[in-house]
Amino acid sequence: MSQKPTVDHDRRRRRALGVFQILIYGYLLTMWGIQLYMYSQRDW
Amino acid sequence: MNQSLSNASNVYDDHQNKSRDAQRKADRWMLPGAILMTTAVLGPIGFPLFLKGMAMQRRALLDGMSVRPMICTLLGYLVIMDSGLNSIGWSLDIFAHHSLISRTLVTAWGNMFDAGYFWHYNELWAGGAGAPGEKSWEYSLVPTVFCMRLAAAIGFLQMKRWGHQWLIVTCWFGVIYWVGYVANMTIFADLRYANIVFPVWGWWLYDIFYITPFLAIPYLHTVNREIFSD
Repeated sequence: MSQKPTVDHDRRRRRALGVFQILIYGYLLTMWGIQLYMYSQRDW
Repeated sequence: MNQSLSNASNVYDDHQNKSRDAQRKADRWMLPGAILMTTAVLGPIGFPLFLKGMAMQRRALLDGMSVRPMICTLLGYLVIMDSGLNSIGWSLDIFAHHSLISRTLVTAWGNMFDAGYFWHYNELWAGGAGAPGEKSWEYSLVPTVFCMRLAAAIGFLQMKRWGHQWLIVTCWFGVIYWVGYVANMTIFADLRYANIVFPVWGWWLYDIFYITPFLAIPYLHTVNREIFSD
């Protein structure tokens, strides 16, 4: 079983967490955008 | 030689004891403050208590005491408040939906930010909020993830390894319930945002403070785990 060097491992972990942040905040922004669009179209 | 070793050991023990006392004194202010804030209504009383505790911990840090890192203190107490606020609010909605506080505060809140807590309130057999899916979230999350989150936060504040590990687990749970709950708000937007005072903006401004799981995950996965003990 090959073990990645620690520095490389840390960099990969940080990159994965960055991707996760983009995905999760992107999802929230998308849902918020959909709701704002609905609000502009409807008589709430 | 032995005498100097013994003196060094005494100095170390003395420093450890003083540090532990300083942390305990600060927590004695922060914990009641956080608990009061979880009730929402008593939040204005709890906030200054919490700030005083934080100032005490900061002073101890500046005095060279070995107290908990400030980021751990903030994260731990934020999670206590997150789980406490959700548990208390939703437990009231499950068990005390006919109480005066629920019928006034909860429906007033519903009238302003989320009609899920106004529309047909107390008209379904389960009582309380009648929004589609809302009761399922309450039944599923309060006894599982929010209890686990509260326990994890206490372990985390004690700098225990299990506290760190379980905080990671429950923060990922948090991602699941946020994704699901926001989807619910969008799918049933015509019900939840219709005829209220602050549609969309109000709910987001009020609820965005619950995203602590998202904020905590990057820290929890990159922090040096050696600072937590068995």
